[in-house]
Amino acid sequence: MRFLRYACVFLILIMLAGNVSPVFAQDYRFQVPEQAVVVYVNTDGSINIDYTMTFTNDSGAHAIDIVDIGLPNYEYELRNITAEIDGVSITRITNSDVVSPGISLYLNDNEIPAGGTGTVHAYIQNVKDVIYPATQTESEDYASLLFSPNWYDSAYCHGNTDYQVTILLPADVQDGEARYYVPENWPSSDAPESRITDENRIYYTWVSDQADSYTQYYFGASFPSRYLAEGAVVQEAYVPPSSTGNNGVNFNLDNLCPFIFCIGFLGFFGLIIYSATIGAKKRKMKYLPPKISLEGHGVKRGLTSVEAAVLMEQPMDKVFTMILFGLLKKNAAEVLNQDPLDIKKSDPLPADLYGYETDFLAAFSEKASAPRRKLLQTMMVNLIKSVGEKMKGFSRKETIVFYEDIMKRAWTQVEAAATPEVKAQVYEEVMDWTMLDKKYEDRTQNVFSGPIIVPAPSWWWRYDPTFARPVVSTSSVRPTISAPSGSSGGHTVSMPTLPGSAFAASVVGSVSNFSSKVMGGLSGFTGGVTKVTNPPPPPSTYRSSGGGGGGGGHSCACACACAGCACACAGGGR
Amino acid sequence: MKSTPAVELPTAGVYHFLRQTEHEKSRLHLRIDQDGSGLLIINASRVFQLNPTAAAMTYLALNELPQDQASRQLHKQFNAPKAEIAKDYASIQEQLNSLVFDQSCPICDLDLETTMPFSSRPSAPYRMDLALTYRCNNACAHCYNARPRSHPELSTEDWFTILDKLWEIGIPHIVFTGGEPTLRDDLPDLIRHAERNGQITGINTNGRKLKDKDYLQQLIDAGLDHVQITFESHLPEIHDLMVCQQGAWQETLAGLKNVLDSRLYVMTNTTMLTHNKAAIPETLEFLGDLGLKTVGLNALIYSGRGANVGTGLSEKELEPILVSAKEITSKHKQRLIWYTPTQYCNFDPVKLGLGVKGCTAALYNMCIEPDGAVIPCQSYYKPVGNFLKSSWEEIWNHDLCISLRERHDLPQKCNDCSLLSECGGGCPLAAKVM
Repeated sequence: MRFLRYACVFLILIMLAGNVSPVFAQDYRFQVPEQAVVVYVNTDGSINIDYTMTFTNDSGAHAIDIVDIGLPNYEYELRNITAEIDGVSITRITNSDVVSPGISLYLNDNEIPAGGTGTVHAYIQNVKDVIYPATQTESEDYASLLFSPNWYDSAYCHGNTDYQVTILLPADVQDGEARYYVPENWPSSDAPESRITDENRIYYTWVSDQADSYTQYYFGASFPSRYLAEGAVVQEAYVPPSSTGNNGVNFNLDNLCPFIFCIGFLGFFGLIIYSATIGAKKRKMKYLPPKISLEGHGVKRGLTSVEAAVLMEQPMDKVFTMILFGLLKKNAAEVLNQDPLDIKKSDPLPADLYGYETDFLAAFSEKASAPRRKLLQTMMVNLIKSVGEKMKGFSRKETIVFYEDIMKRAWTQVEAAATPEVKAQVYEEVMDWTMLDKKYEDRTQNVFSGPIIVPAPSWWWRYDPTFARPVVSTSSVRPTISAPSGSSGGHTVSMPTLPGSAFAASVVGSVSNFSSKVMGGLSGFTGGVTKVTNPPPPPSTYRSSGGGGGGGGHSCACACACAGCACACAGGGR
Repeated sequence: MKSTPAVELPTAGVYHFLRQTEHEKSRLHLRIDQDGSGLLIINASRVFQLNPTAAAMTYLALNELPQDQASRQLHKQFNAPKAEIAKDYASIQEQLNSLVFDQSCPICDLDLETTMPFSSRPSAPYRMDLALTYRCNNACAHCYNARPRSHPELSTEDWFTILDKLWEIGIPHIVFTGGEPTLRDDLPDLIRHAERNGQITGINTNGRKLKDKDYLQQLIDAGLDHVQITFESHLPEIHDLMVCQQGAWQETLAGLKNVLDSRLYVMTNTTMLTHNKAAIPETLEFLGDLGLKTVGLNALIYSGRGANVGTGLSEKELEPILVSAKEITSKHKQRLIWYTPTQYCNFDPVKLGLGVKGCTAALYNMCIEPDGAVIPCQSYYKPVGNFLKSSWEEIWNHDLCISLRERHDLPQKCNDCSLLSECGGGCPLAAKVM
């Protein structure tokens, strides 16, 4: 009887096993038998990246429908990217949701089926901000590129790759000047093949048939910076872009069905449990937080440097210093005493003052510190709200990048100046924008380091009462420097000078002076502002619209920010 | 409309939802692409991009699935903790309510992320203009139509097929145009067919036939959503001069008044030429006094007769007129729509608060001609296929379409311009003529 019972159970199991069709995993699984990457270093400091990748899709695997390629940073434009699959143009290229920064190439009708092979070629031009100062000691400034080619998760990619990586340097770099970096994780020779093209460009090529496409490799090269244009080398310390996801093929993990076979009573149930738990988890799609977005106006141009500083969330003490320096430059005020800070506004005031400048001067008309602090907080609240209004419909991220670019170009102008005198002159002209730099103080120190004696800005005497006023001369004696803001008619202005480091320190000191002496401490002051500009959100409420059914005007100007509303060119929008 | 059980997450396609309160009706279209990302289009006028998670959540929210059920469904599909999914779903529901019913500003009130203008790469345009006929009862000297009036026309059944295919592709907004679309006897049938699909319909018309209230009622009963009427001047003699038809103004005005009395969404459009530019302020005052809530202005379209008519205004002449137009429409609490893509170095609409305007041909809108040929926009007479004969992929990815979308072949000065993303180089037709 017992035997019969076991036999029945066994028979049931056999029958069940017979009904379980072997189901192959519909997951992504592929090999990359060949991959070639060429990185062209352009003289403007950008790079072009050329990928050629051959995919061989495993039998039973999910078709490869989208290929994601990670990129070094976000400094690229989709319109500079072309791609093909087996020679057929890929028309849909977007920013990737899976690997960021990165792009998605949609293969559409040309997806690589299970068991199939396809070759993807992608050419990404003008990826900017990738060349940094080299850290090794050389006889002159060197520029450096470190590059890691695209790689895939080993859960999906397997097998060896015939791998080739080439870095092509700018033209005319001499043989003895170029350097290569020893690659990391590379299974073959560290030393690359080195040649020179017909266009006189040195290139390094690393080749291996033992590499794979699921390991991250690093390659790099350096060369004298003088072969690049001014400003081509990024000066800030390298910060890896915040990235999400793995470099990997975009996938929809759906219906993962393990290959089920009867290996015995326990094994059978073990597989069931696996399918129900771990398998089910793998079936699910990768979760990215929901995001609703819309097209806006793009970059908000025309902000002042102070407004840009507010947008970039610079510390308030620096914002105040920028406002003060702006007023001094406009001859709208004069510092009577630095500590305690006492400012006298000019009479008459220039006509072209911004609202925040007028409010700033009004605050300093108040001599008592507590009321003055209150007025400055109000001024700052109004400034922040004003910037918020101006930014409505515009892209905050792109706008910040735009003004950061202005700042970088301003520094480039200063650093490129040939003599200390010209450097100081340019510095004064672009000081509004260089002050946006979060490392403004360090950079000023670097620019004016050493025993350089530089002419101070023409208005510096208005900031530092101990500083001699410039001497206005109508004689024919050639002055030390001509200061644009101080010149008028036939007069020229002799500028007083001070050691560059002292000037830099004085600017730094002005910021901290504001923080400690005027604002009464940065955090307390800022708190008094942010409680107004960033109050806790009110409880959410729902109310229905009472608008008429006939439709009509939108009350919010931002409605017109919707560039995608298709109401273009007499199209009869709604 | 796809018939899908509400508890399942959506497959690729377009879904139509109607939200109605006592005072307001909102028509929503949710287009889901193959990769799961989506577009939410509200009343054929506000477009939002959704990543796959947001698209799935929006679908469930618009199907009014209770929160706990939706969270469970989402948790089956997405690898994330239940609590996180539930919290995000609640947030999406709230945002949708605000966008749909509150008419909240997505930027000011909801602080939604904005992307660069014209950066979307949809799988199909948001709107298709159907030029049903090139026949017209006006004869505007500046007409952009470059075809003869006797251009071959499709049958009603063919247009039904086109409307159905457009719906399958996911295009929710149809504008019937021409020529003069009201000259097609089957216009009410076409409107009805599109509306039954779930598409929002509008017409671009000279308005003359709408003077007949019974005819207008037919269009309304068929489900027509919005009307744009060409109105060139408050002065009859100028309007009739521009449209080259004596007595046209009277009929157009009568049609406009009939539509204003109805529940249809209505706007006018005025082409700014040398004939009418001086009177534009008074024309806008006139329209304001009529009670019109939305007015459109556009510059000459350099196509058809417009290419050589010689009465267009230069881009630099536009600013004073539009500054005045903004003041007047603001006074009347009207919405001003400026239509024409211009080169921002000549005329920058953003600076004037008119919004970003750029060419959206073969990107957000396209046009089908009376014989089924597809052209990048109503005025760009270079077919990229025939809708009844070519596949959508062939049409959408035609070299010309890609070239227009990706802003190839721009004037040299545009390539280094920092305003390129927003400007797009202006109207390609104007660039050819200039």
